[in-house]
Amino acid sequence: MNQRLGVYICHCGGNISDTVDVDATLAAVANEPGVVVARTSMFTCSDATQEAIVHDIEQEHLDGMVVASCSPTLHTMTFRGVARRAGLNPYRYTQVNIREQCAWAHTGDRAGATRKAIRLVRAGIARARLTEALEPTVVQTVPRALVVGGGIAGLRAALGLASIGLGVVLVEREPELGGYVGQLGSLYPTGRSGGELIRELVEQVRRQPAITVHTAARLVAKAGTFGDFRVTIAVDQPPAGPGGPAGSDPAAAPPPSVRAQVGTIIVATGFTPATPELGAYGFGIEGVVTLPEFTRMVDAGPGPLTAGGRSVRAIAYIYCVGRRDPSAEGAGQGCAQYCCTATVHTALRVAGRDPDVRQYHLYRDLRTYGRYELLYDASRRQGSVYLRFAAEDPPRVSRDGASGRLAVAVSDRLEAGAAVEIPVDLVVLVTGMAPRPDPQLAEVLKVPVGRDGFFHEVHPKLRPVATVVDGVLVCGACQGPKGAGESVASALAAVGQTAALLKRGSAELDPQVAVVAAPRCTGCERCLAACPFGAIGLSPTAGGSVAVIDAAGCKGCGACVPTCPEGAIDLLGHTDQEVTAMIDALAGGTPA
Amino acid sequence: MSYDALVVGGGISGMESAITLGDMGYRVLVVEKQASIGGTMILLSKVFPTLDCASCIATPKMAATVHHPNVTVRTLAEVEAIEPTEDGRFQTRIRSRARFIDEALCTGCSLCETACTVAVPDQFNAGLIGRRAAYIPFPQAVPKKAVIERAGTSPCTAGCPAGIKAHGYVALVRSGRYESAYELVLEATPLVGSLGRTCYAPCETACTRNQLDGPVAIRRLKRFVADRHLAPEPASPPAPDPGGGRVAVIGAGPAGLTCAWQLARSGHRVTIFEASSEPGGMLRWGIPDYRLPPAVVAADVANVTRLGVEIRTGVRIDDPVALRDRGYDAVCIATGTPVAAALPVAGAELDGVTDALTFLRQAKLDAAPDLVGRSVAVVGGGNVAIDAARSARRLGAARVRVVSLERRDAMPAYPWEVDDAESEGVELHGGWGIAGFVGDRRVLAVAPRRGTEVVDATGRFAPRYDDQVTRQVDADLVVVAVGMTRDDSPLAQLVPTEPQVAPLADPQTLATAVPGLFAAGDVVTGPSMITTAVGQGRRAAAMIDSLLRGRPADAAAFDRQLPAVDPAEVLGRQRRHTERPALAARAIDPAPLGFAELEPPMSEAEALQATGRCLDCGVCSECHACIEACPADAIDLGQADEVESMTVGTVVLATGFRLFAADHKPQYGYGRFANVVTGMEMDRLLAPTRPYDTLLRPGDGRVPERIAYILCTGSRDQQVGNPLCSRICCMYSIKQNQLLMGALPLADVTVFTVDVRAAGKGYEEFYVQAEAMGATFVRGRVAQIEETATGDLLCHYEDLEGGGARQAEFDLVVLAVGVLPNPDAHRLFPDGQLRLDAQAFVDEVDRDLDPGRTSVPGVFVAGTAAGAKDIPEAILHAGSAAAQAAAHLERIGPDR
Repeated sequence: MNQRLGVYICHCGGNISDTVDVDATLAAVANEPGVVVARTSMFTCSDATQEAIVHDIEQEHLDGMVVASCSPTLHTMTFRGVARRAGLNPYRYTQVNIREQCAWAHTGDRAGATRKAIRLVRAGIARARLTEALEPTVVQTVPRALVVGGGIAGLRAALGLASIGLGVVLVEREPELGGYVGQLGSLYPTGRSGGELIRELVEQVRRQPAITVHTAARLVAKAGTFGDFRVTIAVDQPPAGPGGPAGSDPAAAPPPSVRAQVGTIIVATGFTPATPELGAYGFGIEGVVTLPEFTRMVDAGPGPLTAGGRSVRAIAYIYCVGRRDPSAEGAGQGCAQYCCTATVHTALRVAGRDPDVRQYHLYRDLRTYGRYELLYDASRRQGSVYLRFAAEDPPRVSRDGASGRLAVAVSDRLEAGAAVEIPVDLVVLVTGMAPRPDPQLAEVLKVPVGRDGFFHEVHPKLRPVATVVDGVLVCGACQGPKGAGESVASALAAVGQTAALLKRGSAELDPQVAVVAAPRCTGCERCLAACPFGAIGLSPTAGGSVAVIDAAGCKGCGACVPTCPEGAIDLLGHTDQEVTAMIDALAGGTPA
Repeated sequence: MSYDALVVGGGISGMESAITLGDMGYRVLVVEKQASIGGTMILLSKVFPTLDCASCIATPKMAATVHHPNVTVRTLAEVEAIEPTEDGRFQTRIRSRARFIDEALCTGCSLCETACTVAVPDQFNAGLIGRRAAYIPFPQAVPKKAVIERAGTSPCTAGCPAGIKAHGYVALVRSGRYESAYELVLEATPLVGSLGRTCYAPCETACTRNQLDGPVAIRRLKRFVADRHLAPEPASPPAPDPGGGRVAVIGAGPAGLTCAWQLARSGHRVTIFEASSEPGGMLRWGIPDYRLPPAVVAADVANVTRLGVEIRTGVRIDDPVALRDRGYDAVCIATGTPVAAALPVAGAELDGVTDALTFLRQAKLDAAPDLVGRSVAVVGGGNVAIDAARSARRLGAARVRVVSLERRDAMPAYPWEVDDAESEGVELHGGWGIAGFVGDRRVLAVAPRRGTEVVDATGRFAPRYDDQVTRQVDADLVVVAVGMTRDDSPLAQLVPTEPQVAPLADPQTLATAVPGLFAAGDVVTGPSMITTAVGQGRRAAAMIDSLLRGRPADAAAFDRQLPAVDPAEVLGRQRRHTERPALAARAIDPAPLGFAELEPPMSEAEALQATGRCLDCGVCSECHACIEACPADAIDLGQADEVESMTVGTVVLATGFRLFAADHKPQYGYGRFANVVTGMEMDRLLAPTRPYDTLLRPGDGRVPERIAYILCTGSRDQQVGNPLCSRICCMYSIKQNQLLMGALPLADVTVFTVDVRAAGKGYEEFYVQAEAMGATFVRGRVAQIEETATGDLLCHYEDLEGGGARQAEFDLVVLAVGVLPNPDAHRLFPDGQLRLDAQAFVDEVDRDLDPGRTSVPGVFVAGTAAGAKDIPEAILHAGSAAAQAAAHLERIGPDR
């Protein structure tokens, strides 16, 4: 038990002291058992106060410390750092939140807020008396990453990793590298050919000795933890090492699977183009095509566009097909982000080829965001006509039996809903990106997907390429619709995060993990089922088996603790004893 | 000094790049020009589409950046140059601007902020409210340290030869701290009341307000604080510092008194020897009572004696050097110019011809000749001549004529003095030189001849006359006021004559040829201004103090100031100003009688009005209130910028963006209509650390009920030269719509837009949610806004969906201003090596495969410096830049 505690209560300027009587709080807790130093300060986090605390720890030989200030998310690390600088184990520090959870919540009730603050601080002191020194688990990290997916994001990620000195195992499901972009011609906004870009990347990947490529291969198993994953790849053909495809001896039987040891896994499995429902907007009628089909027509050759054997003189583009529909399931509710610009870019190419083709864009909102607006401007200058329709009154496509031409009927919102019927030769349905279903991969990686069916990052701003599984990152269009350049940016961001994890060779893991008191464990396995991270295993003993928790795999979530009928599991840093002591302090004693 | 990576800009992109590179093990330097990292994001309310509080996302990144073992952060610093070297690295120059706060000592307690007397628009609150010149940027600032904003020395302060912090005392008066203002003047001189009346006010000549509607009445404010000052009960003087010395000061004029005062304050024992019967010098004997009452001088002198300075009057020192043998460690000669220059013309010896010093002294002693009904001629065109002439009028002279060599507009006297003299009936006869005085034993007249030139081609005084043109000016008394010189007799052994005549004292150190002997004031400079003499006294005291404390005298460092602020810069900061009436001109009595003080005291209301006109040119007023207030002794106004050169392996430019200046769309009335605000201002109004602590419209504080958003303000707009979409405005407006409808459930929100660009993960859903909450989206652009009498706003718009031209009235209009390039990065590189795109964002040479790579190998761009982005895109882009920067570092290998 820690008997020499320092307690610091913060004014936070006036953030706390405007509501909480800080001096009264100090007076009420200064004589709690074990407290040898108790002070208030204007800003405890300021360098000056930090130095004063360091001084106290050293001079008073403190063995525990409490700061009552703001949310632990803000300054736990700060004050653990203070403890460390003074030679006190950082886990002997307890932060008490009397700002967000007290002062800010009870403005206008000074007496009540002060009473609450006193109890919160007493609870913190009760815990601090019981804290123990903990040392972080250090894992050695493997300087190699697995990249799943050989499209533009995966290829660029592999090259990025190699250029920072990390090894790469690249797994592509198809027999060829290149993904979706590899099949494309001109890309917005640069106009470069997707096929060319991919050839360039594949060439570089082939020349890069640090990258091992497995095509026609799938990730089938993952074991181990962040920094040291063991993965199993099922391969339909042998690995293609540097200098071209290996296994030139056709007689050699391809190994059924390959194992690899990697530090992180980058998922870059891309998307699948959405297909409209049959009948929607005339889909199924000859001459009604999707945007990907249409771009392939445009890519196909320099001559005039033809459809059904006749020259295309007029085209209607219908935007947001299968998208922006609040009643839809999954990805259909959202905006697919890339398709407005892709369509406008394609229209520009058509006009460049034959300026006399009439192009009608039936849209809801034209989302050529950022500098893509220039493409929209250019398409209008080149004669594209834009008509706005309302979601509740979508265009109707029909084929006129007599003329054989297609007709699109639409109410143009920009002309007071005037009914317009446009005869065209081709209708292009602008469909978005759909998630590529891959239940096996999701199962192996345990990476959650969002409501839209795409892989889910932890947080779009804090950790935009990280998943809840440490060491498994996502990038590119498997995360959500993106343009090619945007996919590459996220791929390189994943490279940066991977290097941040692996480049130093080792990583420290939070020691606040669950532990099993083996003598009390009956091997009932309930905790195994409760662990979302698969960090609990069984270890055979003389009489049966006991649960063993892998410190590197445990995230300290505590889910296993209450499942144990024997009370044999405890969470270091938040032990039952500590929590009970805090509850006693909060609930018990005389009212302040 | 070297780092692996230099990250320019500490916003969200810069922080992301820095943390990523730091985590990889590279040593990173982040240079941020603001006083805190956090960029634009930390100032936002919440962020779309998750409605996370912006602080909750940004502060952990800020903390992670600043506490990262591999990341060093310099705030308030700017990169000045980045030059690629042959080995793939960069030579950079970084200027850390003076904070004027010792960061190590500052605890961020904000007491300086509370004490500060200057308010400026708070850039961290979009200018909606003010902040102090001494400030902590915002509550979550990292580092949470104060900074004092100083644009330079205010022109008034820079113009003061006495070294008085003119701006400082004006600012203290404005804050109602009159005694502090008095004490601030005391830091320079004890002669507060005297200077408040007689100073020629170079501060007012320098005042930037001259370029608008006339200067701030700075001199009279000094008199105001002197008038309000209540001298404390005479306490026993403070004990001199035992380490101090004994100093003799010769002469109790402005220089001597100031010198003695400063030395006494520094702990030395000082004795003043004054030849005349009372202290004050020219203040006591030369300046007429109607300008400077003797009681004022006496009060100023009492400041000096209260510190224990002994003034021995009636003691003439004929041998200053001998004082050293009488136990004085140092001597300051401040004997001024007590000898009236004579006019070497015929009749100068006649009775009735006197010199101005004698005449003025007689008037001060009430011993002047009876002039009632008489004629007086004053010879000379300077201030002393005018003082003599006006004194003569007050003594009853029927005619007073001033005969001067210079014509009226070239007279050396101050124009306002000349004007007042004329108003009092003094006749001016400019352009005449004196040929002689006419009379027999007693003077009868002055005989001038026409002066043709006063100075020669080189500007030297060399009068020429036309002897053919003469006249005669009858006079019962002639007062000659043609100059004054020092009394050389006690100085004989001090002024070297070999190898040639040298000045009495070095102009910088004020040391004479004899060690330990110094000289200050008019005895050194020749006849000058009281204010100049005060400055000399201060300088001499500083030099003597150095000598006595055994420190080398650093004359060049004395009164070192920041460069004076350019008035054009100050005027550029002003949005508008109110013309204020000058203080009422006082009536001048054409036949004044008696020597009662002419200038009335300022009332408190007048003083406050006068100080309200101050433009705070230097921003910090140097009032020293923060120094008083700081418990940590952390304030150091003497800090200077530091410039360092260092080598880095790679550069990440994260210099961010500028917001479109909404007043460039004049049809929307931003800047003229108080209730038209920008999206950034609205974000501040909605933020937890918001300026008004509630949501109201700025014009009249009413809670708005009808709120309009105008999207694409300054974006997608060829008229303002920005064809691009700004990417973020649709979404931040939708976010604000939701927050507004949450904060003001009764408010109606209308959004005028052409397209709603909700393109991004979860964005469309966020837009649908805003519509479901009640926001109305109108397709159409607003052409014009008019302000109604009640401050409401009438929007004229075209309803694109068939409604034609319409109008609607709102309580508050929010202009969704867009993103413009920040041109800062380009000029860091030699010869435009850093390529920009057509809109002047940093160009990316391969947007397909290497997002963030610039035209300079090894230099990468992160975030909005390369074009409009929302926060998730900026963060990904920053990660991309960091990954490529790391690859560059691997390629070039470790720094040798």
